[in-house]
Formats: sequence, C-alpha cells, structure tokens
Amino acid sequence: MGDDPVLYQIRVSGHLGPTLLTAFPVFVPQQQGAETVLTGLLPDAAALYGVLAKIEALGLDLLEVRKVRPRHQQDPRST
Amino acid sequence: MIDTSDAMSASRTPGTARPGLIDRHDLLAALDRAAERKVTVISAPAGSGKTSLLRTWAERAGQDHRIAFMSVRPGQQDAQMFWLTLLAAVRSASGADQGTEPPPATPGFNARAMVDKVLSEVGATGEPFVLIIDDLHELAFPEATEQLTELLTDLPPQAHAIVGTRRDLPLRLHQLRLAGELAEIRAGQLRFSEDETRELLASAGIALPGHVAALLHQRTEGWAAGLRLAALSLAAHPDPERFIAEFSGSDRTVAEYLMAEMLERQPPEVQGLLLRTSLLDRVNSELADLLTDGTGSERILLDLEDANAFVVSLDPGRTWFRYHRMFSDLLRLELRRTLPGDIPELHRLAAHWLAEHGQAADAIGHLQAAGDWAEAGRLLTDHALSLTLDGRAGTVAVLLRSFPAAAGKDSPGLALVHAIADLDQVRLDQADAHLQVASSYAATTPPGRQHRLRIALASLGLMLMRLRGNFEGVFEQAGALLAPATGQSSADVALGSDLRAVALLNLGVTEAWSLRLADSERHLLEGAAVARRIGRPYLEVACLAHLGFASTIHSFALARQRCEEAIALAARYGWGADPVTAPALAALANALIWTGQFDRGEHWLDRARRATRADGEPGIRLLVCLTSALLQAARGDHHQALEEFAAARQMQALMVGEHALTSRVTAWTMATHARLGMVNQARAALAAIEDRQAAVGEIRNAAAAIRLAEQDPAAARRELQPVLDGTAPVHSYLTRVEAHLLDALACRDLGDERTSREAMERALSLAEADRLVLPFAMTGAWELLGALPSQGTSRAALVADILDAIRGNATARPARGLAEELSASELRVLRYLPTNLTRPEIAAELSVSANTVSTHIRRIYAKLGAADRSSAVQRGRELRLLSAVAPERRTITESR
Repeated sequence: MGDDPVLYQIRVSGHLGPTLLTAFPVFVPQQQGAETVLTGLLPDAAALYGVLAKIEALGLDLLEVRKVRPRHQQDPRST
Repeated sequence: MIDTSDAMSASRTPGTARPGLIDRHDLLAALDRAAERKVTVISAPAGSGKTSLLRTWAERAGQDHRIAFMSVRPGQQDAQMFWLTLLAAVRSASGADQGTEPPPATPGFNARAMVDKVLSEVGATGEPFVLIIDDLHELAFPEATEQLTELLTDLPPQAHAIVGTRRDLPLRLHQLRLAGELAEIRAGQLRFSEDETRELLASAGIALPGHVAALLHQRTEGWAAGLRLAALSLAAHPDPERFIAEFSGSDRTVAEYLMAEMLERQPPEVQGLLLRTSLLDRVNSELADLLTDGTGSERILLDLEDANAFVVSLDPGRTWFRYHRMFSDLLRLELRRTLPGDIPELHRLAAHWLAEHGQAADAIGHLQAAGDWAEAGRLLTDHALSLTLDGRAGTVAVLLRSFPAAAGKDSPGLALVHAIADLDQVRLDQADAHLQVASSYAATTPPGRQHRLRIALASLGLMLMRLRGNFEGVFEQAGALLAPATGQSSADVALGSDLRAVALLNLGVTEAWSLRLADSERHLLEGAAVARRIGRPYLEVACLAHLGFASTIHSFALARQRCEEAIALAARYGWGADPVTAPALAALANALIWTGQFDRGEHWLDRARRATRADGEPGIRLLVCLTSALLQAARGDHHQALEEFAAARQMQALMVGEHALTSRVTAWTMATHARLGMVNQARAALAAIEDRQAAVGEIRNAAAAIRLAEQDPAAARRELQPVLDGTAPVHSYLTRVEAHLLDALACRDLGDERTSREAMERALSLAEADRLVLPFAMTGAWELLGALPSQGTSRAALVADILDAIRGNATARPARGLAEELSASELRVLRYLPTNLTRPEIAAELSVSANTVSTHIRRIYAKLGAADRSSAVQRGRELRLLSAVAPERRTITESR
C-alpha cells in the first residue's frame, strides 16, 4: 500500500440529484438502473471514512464500496 | 457554561398533540418491555424516528418515573460539558437543583468522580429513574466509550437507561447482556407499518385511498423521516394522489426528493430562512432575522415547529431551536448549490453575533468556515484561557487543529493558544517553546493588542515557572504583571481578570514555597477575591487551598481554620478529592501532626495523598512526603521516616529553585540517621553541606543531634548556641523550640538538671501558643517532662497532651470504672478541660451558656471524684474518656 490516491466506487440506492451531489464534489456519478455509482479518487482510508460518514448522515442507502485496482500497475508486493 | 437547552425539561406539556405524530402503540409497548431491562439501546440510522419515539415515551413514562432526558450536542468534544449537562438533567429530574448550585466547570476534569456523582444523584431519590440520552454517537472526546460504559454498567437499582444512536457503539456491555439486562431496538422495529402509514396520513388530515397509501409506504420503505416529509408536502397539496404517483415513479433518493418538494411548497421567506440558518448549530429569532435581513423569523420558527417540520425548540420559552441533523445537512447542501456566494458572509454575521453574545467557541468555528483565519486566530487567542478555565480545553484543541499550517504566521497569538494548551496538559518544554515564539512576535503586534499580549505572556510565563519550581523567575515576572493597567477595553478587562487571578494564585503559591508567607497570604487573599468577583470558583478554591500553609506565619490554629474553610468550600462544589484541594488537605494534616493529633493528621494525610496526582506539582508532593515523614518520626518509626524524607528530596530534585522546606528535610534526615545510630552517614552528610547553609538554625540542630548521638553533649550545646541566642537564621520559631529541647537533653546528659529544666520550660513556653507536640516527640525530649515541677493549669494541659499523644499507641491501661457515666454533653465539656480555654470560651465553642458549662463541670467533678480541673483531666485520661483528639473548632463537611 503506497501513498498514491486510490480509486473508489461507491454504490447507493436511488438517483442523487444536484443537491446531494454537492456533498460529493470529488466523485463522478453514474446512474445504473435505480442506483447511483459514485467514482472518485481519494487520498487515503481516512478520506473514505469521511465520505461514508456523509452517506450515513444524509440517510442514503449504501449498497457497495469497492476499491478499483488499476489494470496496468501490478504491485510486486501484492499477495 | 453548560448548555441546559440540551436537556429537555422534564415537564413539557403532556398530551400536546402535534400534527403528523401518531401514537405508535406497538412500538411504545416494545419500548416499555425493553425498558424493563437495565439498559436499552436504540440503534438505527438517521431519520428512523428514534428521537420522536424517545420523546413520546418519556412523556408517557414521566407519570411514574423520574426522567432525565438529554441530547448530545453535535460533535461534542468536551467530556466535562457532556457530563455537566447530564448531571443538570438528572438534578432537574430528581429535584436536587432546588436550593443548591449546579457544579461549575473546572479546568481539570475527573471523569471517575463525575460518573460517581451522576450515579449517586440518580440513586439518591430511591425512586424509579430513567436516564435517556439521545444522539450518543455524537460524543467525540476520547474515553467517551469507557466513561459511558462505566455509567451504564453501574446504574443503581431502580434506575434504567435508554440511549439512542445512529450507529452501533463499541460499548462493552457484555456483562449486562449475559445477565439479560440489555435490550435493543433496531431500524427494523422502527419502520412504519402500512397501518401506521395510513394512521399518519389520517392524523395529518390527508385523505387517500388504501392502495395509494400502500404505494407511499412501499416507496419510503416505512422510513420515518420520509413519511414525515411526505406528510408535510401532502398536507395542503391539491392533488395528493398524483404527488405520490410521481414520487413513486422517480428514482431519486427519498430524502432529497421529498425535501426539495417540501421546500418548494414553502413561501420564499421561509425557504430563505431555512437555507440561510442551516449553517447554524442552533438558531433563535435574532440570529435568523440577522441572516435573512428580515424581521419575521420568530413567527416562522414557531410555525415550523408547530407543523412538525423537523424544527425543535430547545427551551420551554421556545426561543432557541435546532433542526433535525439530517434536515439541516440537506439544507446546507442546497444552500451551497443555490447561494454559494452568500455563505462566507452568513458565517461572518453569525460569528459576530455569537461573539457578542458570549459564545466565542461557536463564533470561532464560523470564522474558520468563512476563511477569516486572522480574525478567528485573534478571537481564539483572546478566549483560549477563559475556555480552558471553563473546562473546554477539548474544544480549544479542535479549533486550534482546524487552522491551516500557514496561519501561524498571520496569527502569532496562536502560539499563545498552543502554550495554554501545553500548560493545561503540563507539557512544560513545549509551553516554553511556544511562549518564546509568541514573544518574538510581540514587536509586530498591532499597538491595540500589545498590552493584552504582554500581560498574557507574563501571566503564562509565570505559570510555567511556578510549575517548574523556578521561584526566582516567578518573582521577576510578577512585578511587571501586577502593576495596575489603565485604559483597557472590555475584552482586555475580562481577559485581564482571568490572567490576574491566575497570576496572583501562581505568585502566592510560589511565595508560600519560598516562605515569604506574609506576601503569600496577601496575594492569595487578593487572588481569591478576584476569582470570586469574576465567578471562577475553581480559582477561588485554589487560592484558599494554598492559604492554609501561608497562614502558618500566624499560628497553626489559624492555618487549620483556613484549611478547613477551603476544604469545606471545595466540598460544596464536589471537589473534595480533586487535586485543587490537595494543598489544603496536606497543610491541614501538617498542622494536626505538629499539634500532636497524629491519628486525625494521618486521616487527612491519606486524603491529601489520594487527591495528589502522581504527576502533580512537586511542591505539594514534597509537603505530603515531609508530613508523612514527621508522622512516622513522631511515632518512633524512624526507618519509615527516612524513606519519606528521601522521597521528599526526590521531589526537590524535580524543581528548579530550592523549596523552602528542603533545608528542614536535609536537617531532619541527618538527625534521624543520628537517632538510628547511623552516625557516620549523618556526619558525612553534614560535612557535604557548604558553610553558609550549615550556619542555618535547622542544620545547627541536626549537628547537635549528631553530637548527642556521639555522646558529646558539650559539643551539642556549642552547636546550639547560635540558634538559642538568635544569631543563626531560622525558618520559623519551630526550630527554636527544637533547639531548646535538644539543649535540655544535652544538659541532662551533662548532669545539669537545673539548666535542663530551664530549657524545657523555655520550650514549653514557646510551644504553648500553638500547643506544639511534635518537637517533643521527635527529639525524644518528652521523657524530661516528668521531671518538671507541677505547672500552672494551661501548661499542665499541654504537658498532658504531649504525653497523651506520645503514649497514644501504647497498650491500653486498665481503667477503673465509673460509678455513674458521663452524659454526652458532659463528655463534650470534659474534652475542653485539657485546653487553656476559660469557661466562657468553652461555652462559646459549644454554643451554650456559661451557666450550662459550669453546671456540666460541677457534675463532671462529682462523677470523676475530682477537686479541680487538672485532676478531672487526669482522671479523664485514665478512664480513656478523652480521645487523643482535641475538640474541633469547626465541623468539616466532607464531600460525598
């Protein structure tokens, strides 16, 4: 694990309108069916937990959190 | 200042039906059942309806239970604020707040004592009691989990707790769970059923066919917040069915959709108010008018609450309101989306209003949000000390952390804030570094703030030096600090008073440890007066606690009295075991031991030890060790005494300057070695003392003790000569008493009985005013008392006291029984007979008439078969009717 920013995808129930999206400026939203996927780069885990706290505070229904591994970079230390 | 608005008054008008709120019978019944267990945790996400449930339940249960209800402030970083608010709610529910003051905040905070206090207040009524704490997840201080766990696992019988939280908390409640005393209510149970949905709509006056209501229920999944928002929009909607159909057909998240709908239906002035005030933690009509640049806010807020639109009033007078957290979060986002340019100005307006109304911490937060770092820094600099003294060091730390790294250059005052935080946590080296940084900026500070900065630097520097025991440094700074200042703004005066009280305290303490007792007394008294005037009881107690030791310049009796007063004052605020009281406890123990009351002294010494922090001020710990050593020596435990003297020397090593009691520690260490026959060690220590110090009276006495141990009484007398003729400096007259006693021993060893007796008489004469017993015990000269001719009444009493105290641990002597027992009042009078008080004085002490006292004394003489006072006293001792305790002049109220 290095200190490079990490790409996360967060899936929530429902479509996020313009108001809610102002809470996630770092993310790009994509509507998939009745769900929304937010994709964005975060510096580290602490930032992720900050985002999750916002999701909790706004009463959103969290479906999935995924860390996206870049395909071209293989970490030689990865297990 | 505690936020009592966080504690709902237990007597909100019951049965006030609010539109859109239904009686959820099944859920309330479930909570009834759950609440039979000790602890119920309601854990469900935002908007699930926890708070409504808790409030409704509390109103109903308030019929048969005492209920204390509080909500945790968002982001509560100050443990003490939370606990004081909880305590206030408990006191309000138990009725204890009638007639007694609430405990004020203190700079230091003893969580264990506070938890105990809350628990004991809960249990004090003996009636069924329920603690309800909502928004528990908002606790943001370290050790919140431990403290809460302690509270919940130690609830007294008849007491229950119900807590609401948005997420599962790491509370360690396994014990409760294993014992079947833990109940949980989760989101699933809080969801509205279809029936309840229909009821909700009906009670809001919304007529809908069954299948439409079912659609709404399905779309919101029974989520309480969603249903409430829907009801608000539906209430006056022209086509409710269509509304629900569209809502159902949308994929938007429930909260955002319904919020937007609800907002749209509001008149523009309501929309504006909601959006603009959403960035406040709490809102009142003044603030709302200010931020909306309007005048009708009061009406709007009241109407919103009446309509159950997520606005809740915090006080019975309905002047302060708070929005539901999720609601205000959404509003804030909408504000950011629609009026982004207005936001900094709104924060600024709020900040200025809050600052003017004494809410500096909140004001600073808003200035930071507006990006006004310089002004935020200045405000924090001005208020950091006050906040810290109010026990809000946690808040100060968080505010400090929120400044960007570069802000330090624009705001040199921040270095001062860091120093205050360091001093609060006793990080002395860091405090020193920060003070240096702050003072290097002094020259570039604008002239209007220079005075303030200088005073702050001097006062904090003084505190630092005192904590390090650098006495000379303290005296250097003090002069500049205490010169009265003129032409100050009100901010200067407020800050100035805090700083002045703190400075006087630190100066007074340092003077006490340097044995400048008259100056110490003066400054501590002034410090206490300033503290009382500005309403800082903690500082007042701190000054008075040290006053006891300073008062030994007058007499041990006065010292005792002042110690007892300080302890009583501390106890009134619940600080009986707090470190602030330790100096008084130690000085009281010291005074009692000097006057021969070894058992009572030991009791107070134990309390002093327990009240002293392990990392606390060396000066106090030195006094505690020294007093302990004296007690051991008096009881003949010389080896123990040596250990305690050694501990006292270790305390000295932690101080930069020399503590005034150190030379006595050194002297008595040598004398004790001599008494134990470790003469070589004593001699070596004496040789190591440089000549100037060796001329001091205390050291001369030690040298004499060594000579006596070496069987050279003539040399001992020579050592004592300068002390006896007054040419050797002494720290107090106690040294002279000791010198006379040593001289008496030396003369006896030389076979000069007459001179020996004369020396004893002189010692007794000096010892009489304070009724000193200790020197007689420590030197062993009490053995010579028997050889003295019979004394006058008062002297005889002192001699008897000395012998009694020394023999206090001896085996009990057989008591010849009394034909007739003495009554309680007669015993009380008997205990005064060994003193030199006259009958009228005894009457005054006991608050009875002089005639009453005379009558008692007549009866006492008769029952004891005594002809006069001294034989009555002697007979009383033989019969063990007199404890080793002298009568107290004052009773001490000890804290619970």
